[in-house]
Amino acid sequence: MSEFDAIVVGAGPAGASAAIRLASSKKNVLLVEKSDPPGSKNVSGGVLWGNGLSAIIPDWEKSAPVERFVDTKSVAFLTQDSKIGIDFSSKKLEQKKTGYTVLRARLDQWLARKAKEAGAMVINGITVEKLHIENGKVTGIEQDGDVITSDTVILCEGANPRVAINSGLRKPLTDHDVAIGVKEVIKLPENTINERFHLKSGAGFACEYVLGYLKGGVEAGGFLYTNKDSISVGIVVSMSHLRKNDATHTYDMIEEFTAHPYIAPLLQGGEMQEYSAHMVQEGGFSSIPKLYGNGYMIAGDSAGFSFSNGLVLQGMNYAIDSGIAAADTFAAAYDKKNFTENALKSYQDRLEGSYVMKDMRSFKGIGDVTWSPFVHKKIPAMLESLMMGLFMEEGRPKKHMTRMLLDALSQNDMLRVSSLMDAYRMMRRM
Amino acid sequence: MKIEDRLSLLNYKTDKSYAHITVKPDICETCPDHFCTFACPAKCYTLIEGKLNFKYEDCVECGTCVVACAHDSVTWTNPKGAHGIKYKFG
Repeated sequence: MSEFDAIVVGAGPAGASAAIRLASSKKNVLLVEKSDPPGSKNVSGGVLWGNGLSAIIPDWEKSAPVERFVDTKSVAFLTQDSKIGIDFSSKKLEQKKTGYTVLRARLDQWLARKAKEAGAMVINGITVEKLHIENGKVTGIEQDGDVITSDTVILCEGANPRVAINSGLRKPLTDHDVAIGVKEVIKLPENTINERFHLKSGAGFACEYVLGYLKGGVEAGGFLYTNKDSISVGIVVSMSHLRKNDATHTYDMIEEFTAHPYIAPLLQGGEMQEYSAHMVQEGGFSSIPKLYGNGYMIAGDSAGFSFSNGLVLQGMNYAIDSGIAAADTFAAAYDKKNFTENALKSYQDRLEGSYVMKDMRSFKGIGDVTWSPFVHKKIPAMLESLMMGLFMEEGRPKKHMTRMLLDALSQNDMLRVSSLMDAYRMMRRM
Repeated sequence: MKIEDRLSLLNYKTDKSYAHITVKPDICETCPDHFCTFACPAKCYTLIEGKLNFKYEDCVECGTCVVACAHDSVTWTNPKGAHGIKYKFG
């Protein structure tokens, strides 16, 4: 007889969602978190996209510690001197809120509280070392020689899944699987943010940047999100690209970004409140491990569920929905009192049937495109020369726009077959 | 802002009796790249007179170094008992 029906390792969005779902259906669930309070070791950009939480916490938006709803979403290329971007602001985003900026130390603590309120036992400050495995079946967790038993363990450890790796359920991470995220939270008065970003009270700005100008030619992405009275700003650089250009320090790269002529004014006068960093799961479909086995399931970042196509960065939505899928799988297995690999296989089916695995599959290989010189060097340079061509007035006869585009393409070496293939690949994978 | 000043903004509950990350000095000594010094965002890995110096006290537990080190020198574990980094915002 196990002490718990299920143990969930990690109280981030995946683990808390799983625990809330399980506790809501009267399962005896233990949620174990290494940090105290929950969330105090967690970092994300972060915009929480989607409405996945409504399945477990109706009206979550009213009580969750969200910062602002995103009503302006932008993407931009940055070169040394220029910013070329697209802004999308819409009343529609106010009516149908699709993304909220969040700070994880606040959000995750609230989620853990919700799990407790739903009836889960939540313990903080306990580091699970490995899984307890008997006769090939996971039967609990181990910490300092102590064993706590359960019928199933749901692993939601985040981007650095030590327990899964230590227990042999996931291969150690490689360059291909991860990127490094480095972030700063800059304090600014709420009104200053509203004025600077042209935002109504409560509304927020979220932008992803392609950084094509960093020292050493490192390809990295940037992000800037407005919180209520602070700005989250940071970079994401893939491990393999940093390695190829191993002349830059990650802690300097973020400074290169925040010093850019069109980023610095947005942060001007602000006071740095926090510096943070975390690995980011970047490998996409090919980084996903086996998701279930005898007595266990893996959800959230630990399972490699995060997504970036250069236009958005997403992960918390997949975490929430995979956590819920794991909980529902457990509930079905519980009814049959069968927690074998075969019984938990329906976790995979649930994910395959949802947008989680569909997104992972349809954007397979996107990393080759988003981390390519084509996207980071050629496109920004081409757009810059096109814009300069379009808006320069030198008292000379103007060219037609098509001619200018062709000139910009050829100046930047983009009319070659290899570039056309790059463009084709990008269109296909995005 | 210098990285040292940025790190000084952070709260840690340092575990003086347990280093959650360790490196193998004999491997680091012959390492040809010292890529950890570039990848670690918390400047825990530095070269002092050509010799690798590692301090776990400033670690923000991002997990980068264990992947960055291609020479199997880094052993990475989670801090115990809520020790380590304590973010206010995250």
